Amino acid sequence: MFELATVKLSLPEDPRYLDMSYAEQGPLPEEMRNLDQLSEKDRKLALEFYQSLASDFRYNEYLRGCLNCGVCTSSCPAAKFYDFGPREMIQYMMRGEYDKIYEFTNEKVWACVQCYTCSMRCPFNNEIAGLIMLLREYAVKFGLESAKQILAPYRRILLTVLTTGNQVTPDMIQPETFADWGPQALEESKNMDVYRKAIPVDLMQRTDIGWHASLQTAVELMTIMIEAGVIESLKNIDKDLYDMIIDIYEERKQFLEEIKEKYQKGELNEEELPDSWLDL
Amino acid sequence: MESSVEQNPEREMERAFPNDLDWEEIYQRVIYKYSSPHGIQHIKELMYKLEDKGEIIVQHIKPSNNPVEYQTINGNPKKIPTTKLWNHKSCGQCGHIPGYPTSVFWIMNKLETDYVDEPHQTSCTGWNYHASGASNPVALAGVMVRNFWRAYEIDYYPLIHCGTSFGHYKEIRNMLILHDEVRQKLRPIMRKLDMDIVIPEEIVHYSEWLYVNSKRAASHKRYDLSEIKAAVHTPCHVYKLVPDDTIYDPIVYQGRRPAAPTGTVINFGAKPVDYSTWWDCCGFGFRHILTEREFTRSFALFKKVVPAVEEANADVFVTSDTGCVTTLDKSQWVGKAHGYNYNLPVLADAQFAALAMGADPYKIGQIHWHATDVEGFLRKIGVPIQEYKEQFIQYLQDIKEGKAETEFLYKPHRKIDFYLALPDRVQYERPQ
Repeated sequence: MFELATVKLSLPEDPRYLDMSYAEQGPLPEEMRNLDQLSEKDRKLALEFYQSLASDFRYNEYLRGCLNCGVCTSSCPAAKFYDFGPREMIQYMMRGEYDKIYEFTNEKVWACVQCYTCSMRCPFNNEIAGLIMLLREYAVKFGLESAKQILAPYRRILLTVLTTGNQVTPDMIQPETFADWGPQALEESKNMDVYRKAIPVDLMQRTDIGWHASLQTAVELMTIMIEAGVIESLKNIDKDLYDMIIDIYEERKQFLEEIKEKYQKGELNEEELPDSWLDL
Repeated sequence: MESSVEQNPEREMERAFPNDLDWEEIYQRVIYKYSSPHGIQHIKELMYKLEDKGEIIVQHIKPSNNPVEYQTINGNPKKIPTTKLWNHKSCGQCGHIPGYPTSVFWIMNKLETDYVDEPHQTSCTGWNYHASGASNPVALAGVMVRNFWRAYEIDYYPLIHCGTSFGHYKEIRNMLILHDEVRQKLRPIMRKLDMDIVIPEEIVHYSEWLYVNSKRAASHKRYDLSEIKAAVHTPCHVYKLVPDDTIYDPIVYQGRRPAAPTGTVINFGAKPVDYSTWWDCCGFGFRHILTEREFTRSFALFKKVVPAVEEANADVFVTSDTGCVTTLDKSQWVGKAHGYNYNLPVLADAQFAALAMGADPYKIGQIHWHATDVEGFLRKIGVPIQEYKEQFIQYLQDIKEGKAETEFLYKPHRKIDFYLALPDRVQYERPQ
C-alpha cells in the first residue's frame, strides 16, 4: 500500500495539498485518493456491477486503449469544478479494477456534464462520455445509493418525460426554485397563462407541457418505455413513481382504445371530446 | 523469477482477451471510428445493405425535398433537404424559449418552405438519458424510430430542432445500424405499435437547414448588422457527438469550425468574433441545469460569457441549441451578486435571423422569455422596440379579455389531432 506523504507547507503550489475536499492530504495519484476500502458486501456488489457493465454490448466498443495522456480531463468542464476526471475512470476500466469503478460510480460519475469534448479529443477514440452513461445506466439498474440520491430531486421531471415525452414544462419555473434566473423568469411565472396563449403555435399554448402531444403519442411512448424495461428499472430506485406511471399508462391506454374503437366504427363525435386529454 | 506472462503467455492472452467474445465482430463495429475519413460513409454503406436486405426502411431525401449538398469535416457529402420538412421540436425550446421554434416557423413561412408541425411527436428523451441514465438503448432507439415513423408515413423529411436530439439520434442511428441485437429487440416493440424500423438517409439539424438557406433568408433582411460583433457558441452535441456528421464550409474559419451557426451570422452581415473558450461547453450539464445549477451558473459565466465580452467585446451571443440558449441566457443575472453585471444578450441563430428579417420581437421572437438584454441589442440595430412593446402589451391585454385571437403561424390542428394520428392529417393541414 501507499504510504501517505506528510503535508509540506513548502509545496503549496501543488493543488492536491490545498483541496480540502480530500480527507487525506498529500500528493497521492488520482486513482488512490478519496476512495475508501469496500466492505465484503459492497465488494460482491461491485463485482456483479462490473460484470454486468463489461458484458454490455457497448462496453468493448467504447473502451479502446488509453495513453494516460490526460487530454480528456484537461478539457473536461466538470473537472474544473468537481473532484472528477474521465482519465481516472478509463484507467480503472483498462485494468478491470471493479472496486474502483464501483466507487467511482458512487462518488464521482454524476459530475460529468455530457459535453462529449473528451470523446472528440481522445487520441485513442475511446467513447468516454458513452462509458460514463453506461455507468449511470447501470447505477440506476442496480438501484445504487448514488442514483437514488441524484434522482430524488429529479422525480417530477422523470414523471413528466416518461408519461408525456417532454422533459420540462413551462410552469416548473417557480420563484422558490428558479429565483437565480432573475426577475424576468419570475414575471413569466406570474403571467404564464396569457404569455403562453400569445405564442403563435397552437401546440405550445399550455403551461403544463412544452408542446401538446397527442394521446396516441403519449401511450405509444409509454408502451416503448415499458416494453424496453425502462419503467421496470425504476422499481429499484423509486417504487412509488413506478406505480404511478403504470396507473397512468393503464388509464390512458384504455381511454385511447375506446376512442380508436369509436373512430373506426364511425361513432366518434369530435365535439364531445374534451378540449384536452391532459385535463382528464 | 519468471512473470506469469512469461510462464504462460497463452493463458495471459486469454485473460486479457477472453475467447467467448467475438473480437473480430467488435473491431468491425469500431472500425468506423478509426477509419476516418470514411466513418459515416461506412455507416451509410451498412445502412443501404440493411435496406436491401429488408431489415430496415430508409427514408430517402427526394427531389421534392429540394436538397443541397455540403461537406462534412472529412469532406464526405451531406445532403440537406430544404423543403417538405417535418419539424421535430425540442422540449426545452418549446417549454422555456418559445421564440426559438416560432422563429424557425416564421422563417419557413417567409421562405415559402413546405413544412408540418405535429402533435404526434415526443422529445428524443435524450435530455433525460444524459441527465439521469434512466433509459436504455432499445428505449432510446424506440423513441427515435417512433418519431421518424410519423414523418415517414406522411412523406415529410425530419428536421431536428434540438442539438442534443440531433447528436443523440446520430449516435442511436449508428448503434441501430451496427447492432443486430438492438434491432431484434426493437422490432417486436415497433410491430406492436404498427410500425417498422425506419431511419432517415441523413440526420439533419435545423441550424444546418438555416445555414444553407441563410443567403436567401438574408435577402429579406431589414436591419443592418455590420456593426454587430457576435460571439458564437456551437453546441457540443451538434459537432462533438458523432463529429463527422455535421456540415463544414471554408467560409467559416477556413472550414476549421462547423458551418452553422457561424456561417449564418456571417451571411447575415454580422461580424463573428473569436474568444479563447469557443470550443468549451456552455455548462448546461443536463441534470446540472435543473438540480445543480451552482456548477452551471459558474461555468456559463466564467468560462463563456466573461471571455466573450472581455476578449471579444461581443454585442450578442448566438448559439443553436436549446440547452445552450437557456444556460447562457439564464446564468448571467445571478452574477450581479458578485459584481459581474455582463447582461450579454443571448439568441438562437433562428431568432437572430428572424429578428434581422423584421420579425416582431415579441409575437414571433418571444424575447420577453429571455433574461438578458435582448431589447438593448435590438435597439442597437435599429428595431423600434418601444413601439413593438406597446403593441404587444395591448395584444396580451386583448387576448386576456377575449377581445383578440392569437395570430397563428399556421392553421391550428383539429381537436381529433390531439387524440389520434390519422392518415388524413396532412391533407387537412397542407391541402394541395
